Amino acid sequence: MNAAEELKQALPASVVSTGMQVEKPLVLVKKEDLLEVAAKVKEMGFDHLSVVTGVDYVDRFEVIYNFFSYGKKENLVLKVVLDHEAPEVGSLTSLWKGADWLERETYDLVGVRFTGHPNLTRILLPEGWKGHPLRKDYDMSVEQFVTIGEDGEDIVSTDGSNLLRRK
Amino acid sequence: MDPVTIDTTKFRPVRKKPETALEKLEDTGLISTVLAARERKGLIFLTTVDQVFNWARLSSLWPVTSGLACCAIEMMAVAMAHHDIARFGMEIFRASPRQADLMFVAGTVTKRMAPRVKQLYEMMPDPKWVISVGSCANTGGPYHESYAVLRGVDNIIPVDVYIPGCPPRPEAWLYGVLQLREKIKNEGYGAKWGLNK
Repeated sequence: MNAAEELKQALPASVVSTGMQVEKPLVLVKKEDLLEVAAKVKEMGFDHLSVVTGVDYVDRFEVIYNFFSYGKKENLVLKVVLDHEAPEVGSLTSLWKGADWLERETYDLVGVRFTGHPNLTRILLPEGWKGHPLRKDYDMSVEQFVTIGEDGEDIVSTDGSNLLRRK
Repeated sequence: MDPVTIDTTKFRPVRKKPETALEKLEDTGLISTVLAARERKGLIFLTTVDQVFNWARLSSLWPVTSGLACCAIEMMAVAMAHHDIARFGMEIFRASPRQADLMFVAGTVTKRMAPRVKQLYEMMPDPKWVISVGSCANTGGPYHESYAVLRGVDNIIPVDVYIPGCPPRPEAWLYGVLQLREKIKNEGYGAKWGLNK
């Protein structure tokens, strides 16, 4: 019995379905019960949260969590499906400290909001950037430029007039 | 009319069109030792200040230590013993742009890095040259369609030599350096008069 089946037996009400993601056991979880399931996952010995990613499927968002257990040398994948209008899910920072930056990255590029995150700000792009670039509806026709302000802060503008040599 | 008196209005000095490099130099009247040099042929080393400066500049270009991406790994290979950029007097990669006169833009110029690259370039004292290395710095390369990458570093700073490649081999890099040396050699008035040969 793999970790996904084990999780389904422990929390049958929270798990929607199980399967395989390439060679890793996959569990689709109800988004309201994510924190509860994650606590159980940690209890099962998955001490390393390696990746948090978000995917835009136009009609829905999916957030995917990849776990690894250093003790058992096993992988586990959790997946939650979010509403496309207001993607919001609970933060796992209380369970894995490493979730902090991973969730910030997902917020930055995909625009998923993690409730309960201690510092949900952009991590790769500067503050003031318009839109979330990995969304399907991101406007690629508007080019955005970054310049440095008086106090060393990043300023985002669309014309880039004090950066570019010619317009 | 008194035959002794000379009518100065009819006197017009014949001005020969300067042809050789020496004549052109004389024509400027900038260097008074030219006549002396002519009298003692071969005893005076005759050049222009420009050409001496160019020679000094191209013989010891000091690049600024800056690498943006994987092309910087090639830069290290160029600097190491096998390819040995020290042959061109360039072994001193300066840690401060204030002491450098050449910048290798080695790698992807992201939107966030772009103002920093521009600032580094502006901090370098004149005269300064820029070599753009690799597809990313030249045009954006594989990231040309990206929201986060500048489509060519020549959008923000002037570039003297472009080296293609992804990343360019050290040989290509050295060829680019030779092209820049050729360019520096041909700068200024001396080159215009043909003294760089």
